[in-house]
Amino acid sequence: MLKIENLSVSYGSVRALSDVDLEVLGDGILHGVIGPNGAGKSTLLDAVCGRRRPVAGTVHYRNEDITRRSVAWRRRQGMARSFQRTSVFQDLTVHEQLHLVAQHLGDNRLDDVIEVMDLAGYLHQKAGRIAYGVQRRVDVALALIGRPHLLLLDEPGAGLSAAETLHLFEHLRDLVRERKIAAVVVEHDVDAVFACCGKVTVLDLGRHLATGTPQQIRADHRVVAAYLGTAA
Amino acid sequence: MIALLIANSLALASLLIMLASGLALIYGLRDVINFGHGAIYMLGAYLGYTVSLVGGFWLALIVVPILLALLGIAFEYLALRPLQGRSHIEVALVTLGLGIILGQIIIFFYGGVARSVDAPQILSGSVTVLNLSYPVYRIFLIIMGLGSCALLALWLRYTSSGLYVRAVSQDPSVARMMGINADRLSLLVTSLSTAFAGVAGVLAGPYLSIDPGMDVTMIVNCLIIVVIGGTGSIGGAIVAALLFGFMQVAGSVFLPNIAALVPYILLMIVLLVAPRGIGRGRVLN
Amino acid sequence: MGGSSLRVPLTLVAVAIVFVVGAVAPTRFAGDFVLRLANEGLLLGMLALSVAFLMNQAGLVALGAASIYGGSGLLFAIAMNDWNLTPVWALCAAFLIIVVYATVLGALIVRTNPLAFMMLTLAAGEMISHAVMLEALRDYTGGADGLVVSFKGTVFGMEAADFASPARFWVVMWVAAWLSGLALWAVGRSRLGAILRAVRENEERMRFSGFDTYLPRLIAYVLVNIVAAVAGLLHVLNAGFVSPESLGISVSTNSLVAALMGGIAGSVGPLLGGVIFSFAQDEFGARGLTQLLTGIAIVVFIVVFPRGVVGGLSSMAWLRKLGFGGRRETS
Repeated sequence: MLKIENLSVSYGSVRALSDVDLEVLGDGILHGVIGPNGAGKSTLLDAVCGRRRPVAGTVHYRNEDITRRSVAWRRRQGMARSFQRTSVFQDLTVHEQLHLVAQHLGDNRLDDVIEVMDLAGYLHQKAGRIAYGVQRRVDVALALIGRPHLLLLDEPGAGLSAAETLHLFEHLRDLVRERKIAAVVVEHDVDAVFACCGKVTVLDLGRHLATGTPQQIRADHRVVAAYLGTAA
Repeated sequence: MIALLIANSLALASLLIMLASGLALIYGLRDVINFGHGAIYMLGAYLGYTVSLVGGFWLALIVVPILLALLGIAFEYLALRPLQGRSHIEVALVTLGLGIILGQIIIFFYGGVARSVDAPQILSGSVTVLNLSYPVYRIFLIIMGLGSCALLALWLRYTSSGLYVRAVSQDPSVARMMGINADRLSLLVTSLSTAFAGVAGVLAGPYLSIDPGMDVTMIVNCLIIVVIGGTGSIGGAIVAALLFGFMQVAGSVFLPNIAALVPYILLMIVLLVAPRGIGRGRVLN
Repeated sequence: MGGSSLRVPLTLVAVAIVFVVGAVAPTRFAGDFVLRLANEGLLLGMLALSVAFLMNQAGLVALGAASIYGGSGLLFAIAMNDWNLTPVWALCAAFLIIVVYATVLGALIVRTNPLAFMMLTLAAGEMISHAVMLEALRDYTGGADGLVVSFKGTVFGMEAADFASPARFWVVMWVAAWLSGLALWAVGRSRLGAILRAVRENEERMRFSGFDTYLPRLIAYVLVNIVAAVAGLLHVLNAGFVSPESLGISVSTNSLVAALMGGIAGSVGPLLGGVIFSFAQDEFGARGLTQLLTGIAIVVFIVVFPRGVVGGLSSMAWLRKLGFGGRRETS
């Protein structure tokens, strides 16, 4: 589904990602990406979805090199993302924005998305007026429209309580399993990731540290060292 | 010929640098483009004219920037701060309106006619360098322009307030976390920016004419420079001002028929090639 | 349901009555002087309409309406005087050239951010007014003297004298204002309008939802400039003269003020704002206060309406102040 090779991204003279390789399969499991602050987690998503152009390396999506494709093109091909800082249309009602995007992407099963994200009660309120936790769900809902093949979720739990985060993750796990799609989720909340992701990748200081099942990662001493290193 | 061309473009660029870097400073700190900057420059020129009549050019060069720094403080307290929560576009529109008001007040007091200021005795006449005769006043202008440019660079580079300005300009959220008092910084930067406009206004007197259209001409030139330089980039603004000055002067020599359009052609080319400008400004949305 | 389905035809009938009465009544009851002001008001209103539409739908403030307005009139005059075209062909030529210009300019500037867009429209407007004054083009443009246009023959079945007559021209003006108002209103309610508003709200999210955000804004920009160009052509037909002042920045700021005065959220407001401005200008203009009041009006309208005249933009800042959005800022 998604194959990243030698990916490097720089901000000016600072290298945020260097030589990262990663493969994500469309096998219906949630692929978590964790790492200490500044590990390059969000940068990785930015580079995959086209928000930031890599200085080196390639991104293959469904066996096609898409490194130079536009953001809008990728979305139309089924690569969708949500945002760490909630990115919704504040002045549009929830229904207006979901409907607009659904119409554009030719998705006539909007009700599914509304049900999955539990938004039925908020459809006719402006997104800027609803609670923050619900705004986060609208953000994810926008990414779910059009039956994407690959979901990129950037800290869906940001700003939510631990319980809310876990709840959202369980939701996402079920959804991804049901639809047999690929999903990469970047998250701060390590507990939620270990609880719900079938596979976990750890980044540290812009480098790929380890990929494996939650059990493998938990037992990996390099990962422990990386987290301890930043805590010290 | 080439030397003369470069000297002339440096003289023009000196004025532009003082104005455009002031614009870029406020933009970097507050994300506000001050469309009234041209009117403040015009006020500086007319006040410079009046003070020169009374107490001479040198007095004007000291008094007018101080007066305009005070105006900058008022601008900060009465306009920028109360409007802090508003969108950048709305604040920009308010500064546009304030600029029109200020321009009209100046015209009300001074009338619609052009004025001129004589350079002081010591700066009038020409000096011969390397077989080239060149007006002393323009040399003075270049020294003032490059001097203030250097002072600005030193301030940004080596003082703590300068460091803060750079930090906020690059990333407001980081600056907030560092506990920088953006309000106090903004007061400093705004008054500095208007004081610079005052210096530029006084210096423009003996060099360009003082007329009621000078505010629009200058703000448009500055906006072009700020866009070319990459919005919010002070270094970019300085480079763009030099480029602008050179193009303007070279245009009037080599393409006298369309000299007035040269800056716009430059702008369009930059937009076509690098829509974000040549500098590394913070691009916002 | 029954009530509302009956109400729609009733509203339509009321609108039709206003349209017919508005077209005929002033020509019977108002004097030439008042009609002249009203005509100028609707011309300015059409410019205000174009400014308001872009502000309201796309969140973009254009400060260059004058160059399209004056430019189309000037091109018409040139096409008549120098290219010896018939009036209708001259209108077409002027219209076509100005639309091409607006498209090229728009293609360059709508991809920048809204603040840069505002700066660039101001610069582009100044570029045109400088170009007109160029010594080399003086023979064409008339420089500071402007150009007189007189045409023989007819346009839309009207002769030059008909356009110059305030009462006859009022009918033309009234219809043009309605058509442009209705057209922009319909676009605002269409899918394009919805996309524009969403792009205004959150450009990046639109791209991440698979939308091209550039083309809709370009289309909107060209569309509003078509309205401004029509106003410019009507102006020159009415006045028989193009002055360089019609390209000046004050025309742009006047239309901005008219838009703010009438409210930018619909089609009626800006048109009405133009008429109000025209009558107010007659009242204060003699004392040379127009520009001063224009400046004051811009400041007052933006400061007094804190929910923001530029739709959407300020409401986001307002929400952020209340603590929504942007909880965690770095990763």
